[in-house]
Amino acid sequence: MAPAISVSDLSKTYRTGLFGRSSVRALDGVSLTVPDGAIFGLLGPNGAGKTTLVKILLGLVHPTAGTASLFGTPARQPSARERIGFLPENHRFPGFLTAEQTLHVYGRLADVDGSARADRIAALLDKVGLGDRRDTKVKTFSKGMLQRLGLAQALLNDPDLLFLDEPTSGVDPVGRQVIRDLVLELRDDGTSIFLNSHLLSEVEKVCTQVAILRDGRLVREGTIEELTAVERVYDLTSTAIPDEIVADAALEASPDEAPSDGELRRYRVRADNRSSLNDLLDRLRSAEVAIESITPLRRSLEDYFIDVVDEEMPPS
Amino acid sequence: MRPLYGLLLLTFRELWAKKIVLGLFLISSLVLLVVTFALNLDVVEGSLEGIRLFGQNAAPSGEGAEAQTQMTLNRIVVTVESVVAGAAYWIGILLSLFASAGLFSDVQAPGRVELLLSKPVSRTQVIVGHVIGVWAAIALLTIYLMGGTWLVMSIKSGVWNPRFLLSIGIVIGMFGVMYAAVMLMGVWTESTALALIVAYGLIFISMVLAGAGEIASVLGPVGRPVFWGLYHALPNFTEVTTIVTSLSKDQAVSSWYPLISSVLFARRDF
Repeated sequence: MAPAISVSDLSKTYRTGLFGRSSVRALDGVSLTVPDGAIFGLLGPNGAGKTTLVKILLGLVHPTAGTASLFGTPARQPSARERIGFLPENHRFPGFLTAEQTLHVYGRLADVDGSARADRIAALLDKVGLGDRRDTKVKTFSKGMLQRLGLAQALLNDPDLLFLDEPTSGVDPVGRQVIRDLVLELRDDGTSIFLNSHLLSEVEKVCTQVAILRDGRLVREGTIEELTAVERVYDLTSTAIPDEIVADAALEASPDEAPSDGELRRYRVRADNRSSLNDLLDRLRSAEVAIESITPLRRSLEDYFIDVVDEEMPPS
Repeated sequence: MRPLYGLLLLTFRELWAKKIVLGLFLISSLVLLVVTFALNLDVVEGSLEGIRLFGQNAAPSGEGAEAQTQMTLNRIVVTVESVVAGAAYWIGILLSLFASAGLFSDVQAPGRVELLLSKPVSRTQVIVGHVIGVWAAIALLTIYLMGGTWLVMSIKSGVWNPRFLLSIGIVIGMFGVMYAAVMLMGVWTESTALALIVAYGLIFISMVLAGAGEIASVLGPVGRPVFWGLYHALPNFTEVTTIVTSLSKDQAVSSWYPLISSVLFARRDF
Protein backbone atom coordinates (compact mmCIF):
# COMPACT_ATOMS: atom_id res chain seq x y z
CA MET A 1 0.00 0.00 0.00
CA ALA A 2 1.40 3.38 -1.01
CA PRO A 3 2.24 5.77 1.84
CA ALA A 4 -0.01 8.79 2.34
CA ILE A 5 2.86 11.13 1.45
CA SER A 6 6.13 10.34 -0.23
CA VAL A 7 8.69 13.03 -0.93
CA SER A 8 12.08 12.36 -2.49
CA ASP A 9 14.98 14.79 -2.82
CA LEU A 10 12.61 17.71 -3.21
CA SER A 11 14.07 21.14 -3.94
CA LYS A 12 12.50 24.45 -4.78
CA THR A 13 14.20 27.66 -5.80
CA TYR A 14 12.12 30.79 -6.23
CA ARG A 15 13.31 33.27 -8.83
CA THR A 16 12.80 36.85 -7.78
CA GLY A 17 13.73 40.29 -9.00
CA LEU A 18 13.76 41.65 -12.52
CA PHE A 19 14.12 38.79 -15.06
CA GLY A 20 14.45 36.33 -12.15
CA ARG A 21 18.11 37.10 -11.55
CA SER A 22 17.85 36.68 -7.77
CA SER A 23 16.94 33.36 -6.28
CA VAL A 24 15.78 32.03 -2.92
CA ARG A 25 16.25 28.35 -2.12
CA ALA A 26 13.15 27.41 -0.15
CA LEU A 27 13.66 23.64 -0.09
CA ASP A 28 16.92 21.74 -0.41
CA GLY A 29 16.80 17.99 -1.03
CA VAL A 30 13.96 17.10 1.34
CA SER A 31 12.97 13.43 1.56
CA LEU A 32 10.31 12.06 3.88
CA THR A 33 7.55 9.48 4.07
CA VAL A 34 4.29 9.74 5.97
CA PRO A 35 2.62 6.34 6.38
CA ASP A 36 -1.12 5.96 5.96
CA GLY A 37 -2.93 6.72 9.21
CA ALA A 38 -0.13 8.81 10.74
CA ILE A 39 -0.59 12.20 12.37
CA PHE A 40 2.43 14.05 11.08
CA GLY A 41 3.58 17.41 12.39
CA LEU A 42 5.80 19.63 10.27
CA LEU A 43 7.78 22.09 12.37
CA GLY A 44 10.25 24.80 11.59
CA PRO A 45 10.96 28.46 12.17
CA ASN A 46 9.53 31.10 9.84
CA GLY A 47 11.05 30.83 6.38
CA ALA A 48 12.11 27.21 6.89
CA GLY A 49 10.17 26.05 3.82
CA LYS A 50 7.12 24.46 5.51
CA THR A 51 4.54 26.30 3.42
CA THR A 52 6.48 25.61 0.22
CA LEU A 53 6.52 21.88 1.03
CA VAL A 54 2.77 21.88 1.68
CA LYS A 55 2.13 23.83 -1.53
CA ILE A 56 4.19 21.38 -3.58
CA LEU A 57 2.26 18.48 -2.07
CA LEU A 58 -0.99 20.20 -3.06
CA GLY A 59 0.18 20.96 -6.59
CA LEU A 60 0.11 24.70 -5.94
CA VAL A 61 3.85 25.12 -6.49
CA HIS A 62 5.99 23.16 -8.94
CA PRO A 63 9.25 21.76 -7.51
CA THR A 64 12.58 22.67 -9.07
CA ALA A 65 13.81 19.09 -8.53
CA GLY A 66 12.68 15.89 -6.87
CA THR A 67 9.34 14.12 -6.66
CA ALA A 68 6.29 14.24 -4.42
CA SER A 69 3.32 11.90 -4.40
CA LEU A 70 0.10 11.41 -2.46
CA PHE A 71 -1.03 7.78 -2.09
CA GLY A 72 1.30 6.93 -4.96
CA THR A 73 -0.09 9.52 -7.40
CA PRO A 74 2.25 12.36 -8.46
CA ALA A 75 1.23 15.45 -6.48
CA ARG A 76 0.98 17.66 -9.56
CA GLN A 77 -1.92 15.60 -11.00
CA PRO A 78 -5.41 16.86 -10.04
CA SER A 79 -6.46 13.25 -9.34
CA ALA A 80 -3.93 13.16 -6.48
CA ARG A 81 -6.20 15.61 -4.66
CA GLU A 82 -9.32 13.46 -4.84
CA ARG A 83 -8.60 11.86 -1.46
CA ILE A 84 -7.32 14.92 0.37
CA GLY A 85 -8.72 17.87 2.29
CA PHE A 86 -6.88 21.13 2.92
CA LEU A 87 -7.31 23.95 5.40
CA PRO A 88 -4.99 26.82 4.41
CA GLU A 89 -3.71 29.19 7.08
CA ASN A 90 -5.25 32.46 5.86
CA HIS A 91 -8.04 31.16 3.69
CA ARG A 92 -10.56 33.52 2.14
CA PHE A 93 -14.07 32.45 1.29
CA PRO A 94 -16.25 34.57 -1.01
CA GLY A 95 -17.94 36.81 1.57
CA PHE A 96 -21.24 37.02 -0.33
CA LEU A 97 -21.99 33.33 0.24
CA THR A 98 -23.64 31.86 3.32
CA ALA A 99 -21.91 29.07 5.22
CA GLU A 100 -24.09 26.46 3.53
CA GLN A 101 -23.65 27.94 0.05
CA THR A 102 -19.88 28.05 0.58
CA LEU A 103 -19.78 24.37 1.40
CA HIS A 104 -21.95 23.55 -1.62
CA VAL A 105 -19.57 25.47 -3.91
CA TYR A 106 -16.46 23.74 -2.54
CA GLY A 107 -18.30 20.42 -2.39
CA ARG A 108 -19.02 20.65 -6.11
CA LEU A 109 -15.38 21.46 -6.76
CA ALA A 110 -14.44 18.39 -4.72
CA ASP A 111 -16.83 16.42 -6.96
CA VAL A 112 -19.12 15.41 -4.08
CA ASP A 113 -22.47 14.10 -5.33
CA GLY A 114 -25.51 16.38 -4.78
CA SER A 115 -27.63 14.44 -2.30
CA ALA A 116 -24.63 13.14 -0.36
CA ARG A 117 -23.29 16.70 -0.29
CA ALA A 118 -26.41 18.15 1.32
CA ASP A 119 -26.39 15.50 4.07
CA ARG A 120 -22.67 15.88 4.66
CA ILE A 121 -22.87 19.68 4.83
CA ALA A 122 -25.60 19.54 7.47
CA ALA A 123 -23.61 17.03 9.53
CA LEU A 124 -20.33 18.96 9.20
CA LEU A 125 -21.87 22.31 10.11
CA ASP A 126 -23.27 20.72 13.27
CA LYS A 127 -19.95 19.06 13.99
CA VAL A 128 -17.95 22.31 13.84
CA GLY A 129 -20.60 24.17 15.84
CA LEU A 130 -21.97 26.27 12.99
CA GLY A 131 -25.29 24.44 12.57
CA ASP A 132 -27.26 27.52 13.64
CA ARG A 133 -25.25 29.82 11.32
CA ARG A 134 -25.76 27.93 8.09
CA ASP A 135 -27.69 30.81 6.51
CA THR A 136 -25.37 33.54 7.75
CA LYS A 137 -23.15 35.35 5.24
CA VAL A 138 -19.51 34.34 5.62
CA LYS A 139 -18.37 37.99 5.63
CA THR A 140 -19.91 38.41 9.10
CA PHE A 141 -17.96 35.45 10.56
CA SER A 142 -15.25 35.84 13.20
CA LYS A 143 -11.78 34.37 12.64
CA GLY A 144 -12.63 31.35 14.76
CA MET A 145 -15.87 30.70 12.87
CA LEU A 146 -14.06 31.02 9.55
CA GLN A 147 -11.48 28.54 10.72
CA ARG A 148 -14.19 26.06 11.72
CA LEU A 149 -15.95 26.57 8.39
CA GLY A 150 -12.61 26.02 6.68
CA LEU A 151 -12.24 22.74 8.50
CA ALA A 152 -15.75 21.68 7.42
CA GLN A 153 -14.79 22.60 3.84
CA ALA A 154 -11.68 20.41 4.09
CA LEU A 155 -13.74 17.44 5.27
CA LEU A 156 -16.46 17.62 2.60
CA ASN A 157 -15.07 14.75 0.53
CA ASP A 158 -14.38 12.57 3.58
CA PRO A 159 -10.63 12.73 2.89
CA ASP A 160 -8.09 10.01 3.64
CA LEU A 161 -5.40 12.67 4.13
CA LEU A 162 -6.01 16.05 5.71
CA PHE A 163 -3.59 18.99 5.45
CA LEU A 164 -3.97 21.52 8.24
CA ASP A 165 -1.92 24.70 8.00
CA GLU A 166 -1.95 26.50 11.36
CA PRO A 167 -5.50 25.28 12.11
CA THR A 168 -5.76 27.00 15.51
CA SER A 169 -4.13 30.28 14.50
CA GLY A 170 -6.19 33.20 15.82
CA VAL A 171 -8.78 30.89 17.37
CA ASP A 172 -9.91 31.33 20.99
CA PRO A 173 -9.36 28.48 23.49
CA VAL A 174 -12.91 27.13 23.08
CA GLY A 175 -12.64 27.08 19.29
CA ARG A 176 -9.19 25.54 19.60
CA GLN A 177 -10.65 22.77 21.72
CA VAL A 178 -13.37 22.10 19.09
CA ILE A 179 -10.72 21.83 16.37
CA ARG A 180 -8.42 19.68 18.49
CA ASP A 181 -11.25 17.29 19.39
CA LEU A 182 -12.18 17.01 15.74
CA VAL A 183 -8.58 16.23 14.77
CA LEU A 184 -8.41 13.53 17.45
CA GLU A 185 -11.71 12.08 16.23
CA LEU A 186 -10.38 11.97 12.68
CA ARG A 187 -7.18 10.33 13.91
CA ASP A 188 -9.26 7.65 15.64
CA ASP A 189 -11.18 7.13 12.39
CA GLY A 190 -7.89 6.39 10.61
CA THR A 191 -7.52 9.64 8.65
CA SER A 192 -3.91 10.63 7.97
CA ILE A 193 -3.21 14.20 9.07
CA PHE A 194 -0.40 16.50 8.02
CA LEU A 195 -0.25 19.32 10.55
CA ASN A 196 1.76 22.47 10.01
CA SER A 197 1.73 24.50 13.22
CA HIS A 198 3.77 26.86 15.35
CA LEU A 199 1.86 25.79 18.45
CA LEU A 200 4.17 23.02 19.58
CA SER A 201 2.00 22.11 22.55
CA GLU A 202 -0.81 21.37 20.06
CA VAL A 203 1.51 19.29 17.90
CA GLU A 204 2.73 17.38 20.95
CA LYS A 205 -0.84 16.58 21.93
CA VAL A 206 -2.01 15.14 18.62
CA CYS A 207 0.96 14.10 16.47
CA THR A 208 2.56 10.68 16.34
CA GLN A 209 5.45 11.75 14.11
CA VAL A 210 7.20 15.07 13.52
CA ALA A 211 9.79 16.50 11.17
CA ILE A 212 11.74 19.69 11.63
CA LEU A 213 12.70 21.84 8.66
CA ARG A 214 15.37 24.47 8.88
CA ASP A 215 16.63 26.64 6.04
CA GLY A 216 14.88 24.37 3.57
CA ARG A 217 16.48 21.18 4.87
CA LEU A 218 15.01 18.37 6.90
CA VAL A 219 17.10 18.32 10.08
CA ARG A 220 15.13 15.90 12.30
CA GLU A 221 12.41 13.31 11.80
CA GLY A 222 10.92 10.74 14.15
CA THR A 223 8.24 9.99 16.72
CA ILE A 224 7.66 12.51 19.52
CA GLU A 225 8.94 9.93 22.03
CA GLU A 226 12.17 9.40 20.11
CA LEU A 227 12.88 13.06 19.62
CA THR A 228 12.04 14.37 23.08
CA ALA A 229 13.79 11.61 25.07
CA VAL A 230 16.95 12.87 26.80
CA GLU A 231 19.74 10.43 26.09
CA ARG A 232 20.70 8.23 29.09
CA VAL A 233 18.77 10.27 31.65
CA TYR A 234 15.88 8.66 33.52
CA ASP A 235 13.29 9.55 36.11
CA LEU A 236 13.27 6.98 38.90
CA THR A 237 10.46 6.64 41.44
CA SER A 238 11.25 4.36 44.36
CA THR A 239 11.46 4.05 48.11
CA ALA A 240 14.31 6.00 49.71
CA ILE A 241 17.71 5.05 48.32
CA PRO A 242 20.54 4.65 50.82
CA ASP A 243 22.84 7.69 50.97
CA GLU A 244 25.96 5.77 49.94
CA ILE A 245 24.33 4.79 46.63
CA VAL A 246 22.98 8.28 46.08
CA ALA A 247 26.41 9.68 46.81
CA ASP A 248 28.06 7.37 44.33
CA ALA A 249 29.35 9.88 41.85
CA ALA A 250 29.84 7.25 39.18
CA LEU A 251 26.11 6.64 38.97
CA GLU A 252 25.14 10.32 39.17
CA ALA A 253 21.95 9.67 41.06
CA SER A 254 20.40 12.65 42.80
CA PRO A 255 17.14 13.02 44.68
CA ASP A 256 14.36 15.09 43.18
CA GLU A 257 13.53 18.26 45.11
CA ALA A 258 9.90 17.37 45.76
CA PRO A 259 9.26 13.92 47.28
CA SER A 260 6.15 12.21 46.02
CA ASP A 261 3.36 10.69 48.13
CA GLY A 262 4.06 8.39 51.09
CA GLU A 263 7.45 6.83 51.20
CA LEU A 264 8.09 7.09 47.46
CA ARG A 265 10.72 9.48 46.21
CA ARG A 266 11.85 10.64 42.80
CA TYR A 267 15.41 10.60 41.55
CA ARG A 268 17.12 11.60 38.34
CA VAL A 269 19.50 8.97 37.14
CA ARG A 270 22.30 9.49 34.64
CA ALA A 271 23.79 6.33 33.21
CA ASP A 272 26.59 6.27 30.66
CA ASN A 273 25.29 3.09 29.08
CA ARG A 274 22.79 0.26 29.46
CA SER A 275 25.20 -1.79 31.55
CA SER A 276 25.75 0.92 34.16
CA LEU A 277 21.98 1.46 34.39
CA ASN A 278 21.45 -2.26 35.05
CA ASP A 279 24.26 -2.25 37.61
CA LEU A 280 22.50 0.55 39.44
CA LEU A 281 19.19 -1.29 39.39
CA ASP A 282 20.90 -4.43 40.76
CA ARG A 283 22.43 -2.39 43.58
CA LEU A 284 19.06 -0.85 44.38
CA ARG A 285 17.40 -4.27 44.57
CA SER A 286 20.24 -5.58 46.73
CA ALA A 287 19.65 -2.65 49.06
CA GLU A 288 15.94 -3.61 49.13
CA VAL A 289 14.87 -0.41 47.42
CA ALA A 290 11.37 -0.89 45.92
CA ILE A 291 11.26 0.55 42.40
CA GLU A 292 7.91 2.01 41.37
CA SER A 293 8.95 3.17 37.89
CA ILE A 294 11.88 4.18 35.74
CA THR A 295 11.24 6.17 32.57
CA PRO A 296 13.46 8.02 30.14
CA LEU A 297 13.48 11.74 30.90
CA ARG A 298 11.64 13.77 28.28
CA ARG A 299 11.91 17.38 27.34
CA SER A 300 8.96 19.27 26.00
CA LEU A 301 8.76 19.36 22.20
CA GLU A 302 9.20 23.12 22.44
CA ASP A 303 12.54 22.78 24.30
CA TYR A 304 13.70 20.19 21.81
CA PHE A 305 12.64 22.36 18.88
CA ILE A 306 14.52 25.39 20.22
CA ASP A 307 17.66 23.30 20.73
CA VAL A 308 17.48 21.99 17.16
CA VAL A 309 16.85 25.40 15.66
CA ASP A 310 19.72 26.94 17.65
CA GLU A 311 22.18 24.24 16.59
CA GLU A 312 25.01 25.14 14.26
CA MET A 313 23.89 24.31 10.71
CA PRO A 314 26.35 22.13 8.79
CA PRO A 315 27.38 23.51 5.40
CA SER A 316 25.37 22.12 2.50
CA MET B 1 -18.33 18.06 -15.14
CA ARG B 2 -19.46 18.80 -11.58
CA PRO B 3 -16.33 20.82 -10.65
CA LEU B 4 -16.62 22.84 -13.89
CA TYR B 5 -20.28 23.53 -13.15
CA GLY B 6 -19.26 24.58 -9.63
CA LEU B 7 -16.74 27.08 -11.03
CA LEU B 8 -19.34 28.41 -13.46
CA LEU B 9 -21.86 28.85 -10.70
CA LEU B 10 -19.31 30.56 -8.47
CA THR B 11 -18.52 33.06 -11.23
CA PHE B 12 -22.24 33.74 -11.77
CA ARG B 13 -22.78 34.29 -8.05
CA GLU B 14 -19.80 36.62 -7.94
CA LEU B 15 -21.06 38.67 -10.89
CA TRP B 16 -24.44 38.90 -9.20
CA ALA B 17 -23.02 39.74 -5.76
CA LYS B 18 -20.86 42.51 -7.18
CA LYS B 19 -23.98 43.89 -8.88
CA ILE B 20 -22.24 43.74 -12.28
CA VAL B 21 -25.05 41.75 -13.87
CA LEU B 22 -27.69 43.87 -12.13
CA GLY B 23 -26.09 47.14 -13.27
CA LEU B 24 -25.76 46.07 -16.89
CA PHE B 25 -29.29 44.61 -16.80
CA LEU B 26 -30.74 47.92 -15.57
CA ILE B 27 -28.90 49.90 -18.27
CA SER B 28 -30.11 47.44 -20.94
CA SER B 29 -33.67 47.63 -19.59
CA LEU B 30 -33.56 51.42 -19.75
CA VAL B 31 -32.53 51.29 -23.42
CA LEU B 32 -35.31 48.79 -24.15
CA LEU B 33 -37.86 50.98 -22.35
CA VAL B 34 -36.80 53.97 -24.45
CA VAL B 35 -37.05 51.93 -27.65
CA THR B 36 -40.42 50.51 -26.59
CA PHE B 37 -42.21 53.55 -25.19
CA ALA B 38 -40.34 56.72 -26.13
CA LEU B 39 -40.12 56.02 -29.85
CA ASN B 40 -43.52 55.76 -31.53
CA LEU B 41 -43.80 54.92 -35.18
CA ASP B 42 -47.11 55.53 -36.90
CA VAL B 43 -47.17 52.90 -39.59
CA VAL B 44 -50.14 52.84 -41.93
CA GLU B 45 -50.34 50.06 -44.49
CA GLY B 46 -46.61 49.42 -44.33
CA SER B 47 -45.45 53.01 -44.75
CA LEU B 48 -44.27 55.49 -42.15
CA GLU B 49 -46.79 58.26 -41.49
CA GLY B 50 -45.22 59.83 -38.42
CA ILE B 51 -42.54 59.57 -35.73
CA ARG B 52 -42.94 60.67 -32.13
CA LEU B 53 -40.06 60.78 -29.65
CA PHE B 54 -40.99 61.17 -25.94
CA GLY B 55 -44.48 62.22 -27.07
CA GLN B 56 -43.18 65.05 -29.28
CA ASN B 57 -43.73 64.90 -32.99
CA ALA B 58 -40.39 64.13 -34.63
CA ALA B 59 -41.84 63.72 -38.09
CA PRO B 60 -40.42 66.09 -40.68
CA SER B 61 -42.33 69.32 -41.15
CA GLY B 62 -41.80 72.62 -42.94
CA GLU B 63 -39.65 73.20 -45.98
CA GLY B 64 -37.62 69.97 -46.15
CA ALA B 65 -40.49 67.76 -45.11
CA GLU B 66 -41.11 66.35 -48.51
CA ALA B 67 -37.56 65.15 -48.91
CA GLN B 68 -37.47 63.67 -45.49
CA THR B 69 -40.71 61.75 -45.88
CA GLN B 70 -38.78 59.76 -48.40
CA MET B 71 -36.94 58.30 -45.45
CA THR B 72 -38.24 54.78 -45.43
CA LEU B 73 -39.47 52.84 -42.46
CA ASN B 74 -36.68 50.43 -43.17
CA ARG B 75 -34.06 53.13 -42.63
CA ILE B 76 -35.56 54.16 -39.29
CA VAL B 77 -35.43 50.57 -38.07
CA VAL B 78 -31.84 49.93 -39.16
CA THR B 79 -30.74 53.30 -37.75
CA VAL B 80 -32.17 52.50 -34.33
CA GLU B 81 -30.74 48.98 -34.45
CA SER B 82 -27.29 50.14 -35.54
CA VAL B 83 -27.23 52.81 -32.79
CA VAL B 84 -28.06 50.17 -30.19
CA ALA B 85 -25.52 47.73 -31.71
CA GLY B 86 -22.81 50.43 -31.79
CA ALA B 87 -23.56 51.39 -28.20
CA ALA B 88 -23.53 47.74 -27.12
CA TYR B 89 -20.24 47.24 -28.93
CA TRP B 90 -18.35 50.29 -27.70
CA ILE B 91 -19.99 51.33 -24.41
CA GLY B 92 -21.23 47.86 -23.50
CA ILE B 93 -17.89 46.11 -24.00
CA LEU B 94 -15.89 48.86 -22.27
CA LEU B 95 -18.30 48.87 -19.31
CA SER B 96 -18.32 45.07 -19.11
CA LEU B 97 -14.52 44.90 -19.22
CA PHE B 98 -14.24 47.53 -16.52
CA ALA B 99 -16.79 45.75 -14.35
CA SER B 100 -15.41 42.25 -14.75
CA ALA B 101 -11.66 42.87 -14.94
CA GLY B 102 -11.11 42.47 -11.20
CA LEU B 103 -12.94 39.15 -10.95
CA PHE B 104 -10.05 36.90 -11.84
CA SER B 105 -7.65 38.85 -9.62
CA ASP B 106 -10.01 37.99 -6.77
CA VAL B 107 -9.90 34.32 -7.76
CA GLN B 108 -6.10 34.46 -7.70
CA ALA B 109 -5.97 36.23 -4.32
CA PRO B 110 -3.89 34.48 -1.63
CA GLY B 111 -6.11 32.34 0.55
CA ARG B 112 -8.66 31.82 -2.19
CA VAL B 113 -6.62 30.28 -4.98
CA GLU B 114 -5.24 27.69 -2.53
CA LEU B 115 -8.78 26.62 -1.67
CA LEU B 116 -9.67 26.24 -5.35
CA LEU B 117 -6.52 24.45 -6.46
CA SER B 118 -6.50 22.08 -3.50
CA LYS B 119 -9.59 20.49 -5.04
CA PRO B 120 -9.22 17.89 -7.81
CA VAL B 121 -9.46 20.50 -10.56
CA SER B 122 -6.75 21.55 -13.00
CA ARG B 123 -5.68 25.15 -13.48
CA THR B 124 -7.10 25.00 -17.00
CA GLN B 125 -10.48 24.01 -15.58
CA VAL B 126 -10.37 26.95 -13.15
CA ILE B 127 -9.67 29.40 -16.00
CA VAL B 128 -12.18 27.79 -18.38
CA GLY B 129 -14.91 27.72 -15.71
CA HIS B 130 -14.33 31.37 -14.91
CA VAL B 131 -14.18 32.53 -18.54
CA ILE B 132 -17.29 30.58 -19.52
CA GLY B 133 -19.14 32.06 -16.53
CA VAL B 134 -18.25 35.65 -17.47
CA TRP B 135 -18.88 35.12 -21.20
CA ALA B 136 -22.22 33.44 -20.53
CA ALA B 137 -23.39 36.29 -18.30
CA ILE B 138 -22.34 38.94 -20.83
CA ALA B 139 -23.86 36.87 -23.65
CA LEU B 140 -27.22 36.71 -21.86
CA LEU B 141 -27.18 40.46 -21.28
CA THR B 142 -26.24 41.15 -24.91
CA ILE B 143 -29.01 38.87 -26.16
CA TYR B 144 -31.42 40.63 -23.79
CA LEU B 145 -30.46 44.11 -25.02
CA MET B 146 -29.91 43.54 -28.73
CA GLY B 147 -32.40 40.73 -29.15
CA GLY B 148 -34.96 42.78 -27.24
CA THR B 149 -34.31 45.83 -29.41
CA TRP B 150 -34.64 43.75 -32.56
CA LEU B 151 -37.89 42.19 -31.37
CA VAL B 152 -39.44 45.50 -30.27
CA MET B 153 -38.43 47.34 -33.45
CA SER B 154 -39.57 44.48 -35.67
CA ILE B 155 -42.97 44.18 -33.97
CA LYS B 156 -43.51 47.96 -33.99
CA SER B 157 -42.51 48.44 -37.61
CA GLY B 158 -43.15 45.10 -39.21
CA VAL B 159 -39.62 45.30 -40.65
CA TRP B 160 -37.68 42.15 -39.77
CA ASN B 161 -33.92 42.46 -40.20
CA PRO B 162 -32.49 39.03 -39.23
CA ARG B 163 -28.90 39.97 -40.17
CA PHE B 164 -28.91 42.27 -37.14
CA LEU B 165 -28.94 39.16 -34.95
CA LEU B 166 -25.49 38.20 -36.30
CA SER B 167 -24.08 41.34 -34.71
CA ILE B 168 -25.07 39.91 -31.30
CA GLY B 169 -22.55 37.12 -31.88
CA ILE B 170 -19.89 39.63 -32.90
CA VAL B 171 -20.39 41.75 -29.76
CA ILE B 172 -20.19 38.63 -27.59
CA GLY B 173 -17.17 37.35 -29.53
CA MET B 174 -15.34 40.67 -29.33
CA PHE B 175 -16.00 40.90 -25.59
CA GLY B 176 -14.52 37.40 -25.37
CA VAL B 177 -11.40 38.51 -27.25
CA MET B 178 -10.89 41.58 -25.07
CA TYR B 179 -11.65 39.67 -21.86
CA ALA B 180 -9.03 37.10 -22.94
CA ALA B 181 -6.51 39.96 -23.12
CA VAL B 182 -7.57 41.16 -19.67
CA MET B 183 -7.28 37.60 -18.30
CA LEU B 184 -3.86 37.10 -19.86
CA MET B 185 -2.52 40.27 -18.26
CA GLY B 186 -4.35 39.55 -15.01
CA VAL B 187 -2.79 36.08 -14.72
CA TRP B 188 0.64 37.31 -15.78
CA THR B 189 0.90 40.48 -13.69
CA GLU B 190 -1.80 39.86 -11.03
CA SER B 191 -2.75 43.52 -11.52
CA THR B 192 -6.30 44.46 -12.47
CA ALA B 193 -5.27 48.03 -13.25
CA LEU B 194 -2.52 46.94 -15.64
CA ALA B 195 -4.86 44.40 -17.28
CA LEU B 196 -7.39 47.17 -17.97
CA ILE B 197 -4.72 49.57 -19.20
CA VAL B 198 -3.53 46.94 -21.69
CA ALA B 199 -7.08 46.18 -22.84
CA TYR B 200 -7.92 49.85 -23.35
CA GLY B 201 -4.49 50.34 -24.93
CA LEU B 202 -5.31 47.62 -27.46
CA ILE B 203 -8.56 49.41 -28.28
CA PHE B 204 -6.69 52.70 -28.73
CA ILE B 205 -4.09 51.02 -30.98
CA SER B 206 -6.93 49.44 -32.98
CA MET B 207 -8.16 52.97 -33.81
CA VAL B 208 -4.78 53.65 -35.37
CA LEU B 209 -4.72 50.24 -37.07
CA ALA B 210 -8.14 50.98 -38.59
CA GLY B 211 -6.37 53.42 -40.89
CA ALA B 212 -3.86 50.78 -41.94
CA GLY B 213 -4.30 51.33 -45.67
CA GLU B 214 -3.51 55.06 -45.54
CA ILE B 215 -0.86 54.92 -42.81
CA ALA B 216 1.13 51.99 -44.23
CA SER B 217 1.44 53.68 -47.62
CA VAL B 218 3.41 56.58 -46.13
CA LEU B 219 5.71 54.44 -43.97
CA GLY B 220 9.26 53.44 -44.92
CA PRO B 221 10.57 49.92 -45.71
CA VAL B 222 11.07 49.13 -41.99
CA GLY B 223 7.94 50.79 -40.61
CA ARG B 224 5.55 49.26 -43.12
CA PRO B 225 6.09 45.54 -42.24
CA VAL B 226 6.10 46.40 -38.53
CA PHE B 227 2.80 48.22 -38.91
CA TRP B 228 1.22 45.40 -40.93
CA GLY B 229 2.60 42.91 -38.39
CA LEU B 230 0.76 44.74 -35.63
CA TYR B 231 -2.34 44.95 -37.78
CA HIS B 232 -2.44 41.18 -38.22
CA ALA B 233 -1.34 40.30 -34.67
CA LEU B 234 -3.53 42.57 -32.53
CA PRO B 235 -7.33 42.56 -32.20
CA ASN B 236 -8.93 44.91 -34.71
CA PHE B 237 -11.51 46.24 -32.30
CA THR B 238 -12.30 49.43 -34.21
CA GLU B 239 -12.53 47.78 -37.60
CA VAL B 240 -14.93 45.15 -36.31
CA THR B 241 -17.32 48.04 -35.63
CA THR B 242 -17.83 48.34 -39.37
CA ILE B 243 -18.95 44.70 -39.52
CA VAL B 244 -21.47 45.28 -36.70
CA THR B 245 -22.76 48.43 -38.40
CA SER B 246 -23.04 46.71 -41.80
CA LEU B 247 -25.01 43.83 -40.29
CA SER B 248 -27.28 46.26 -38.43
CA LYS B 249 -27.92 48.12 -41.66
CA ASP B 250 -28.59 44.85 -43.48
CA GLN B 251 -25.61 45.56 -45.75
CA ALA B 252 -23.03 43.12 -47.08
CA VAL B 253 -19.82 42.80 -45.04
CA SER B 254 -16.85 43.68 -47.25
CA SER B 255 -14.25 41.90 -45.10
CA TRP B 256 -14.51 39.53 -42.16
CA TYR B 257 -10.74 39.59 -41.65
CA PRO B 258 -10.69 42.02 -38.66
CA LEU B 259 -13.02 39.65 -36.77
CA ILE B 260 -11.05 36.53 -37.75
CA SER B 261 -7.70 38.03 -36.75
CA SER B 262 -9.21 39.18 -33.44
CA VAL B 263 -10.46 35.68 -32.65
CA LEU B 264 -7.03 34.26 -33.53
CA PHE B 265 -5.53 36.71 -31.04
CA ALA B 266 -7.75 35.25 -28.31
CA ARG B 267 -6.63 31.72 -29.24
CA ARG B 268 -2.98 32.74 -28.88
CA ASP B 269 -3.61 33.84 -25.26
CA PHE B 270 -4.33 30.34 -24.11
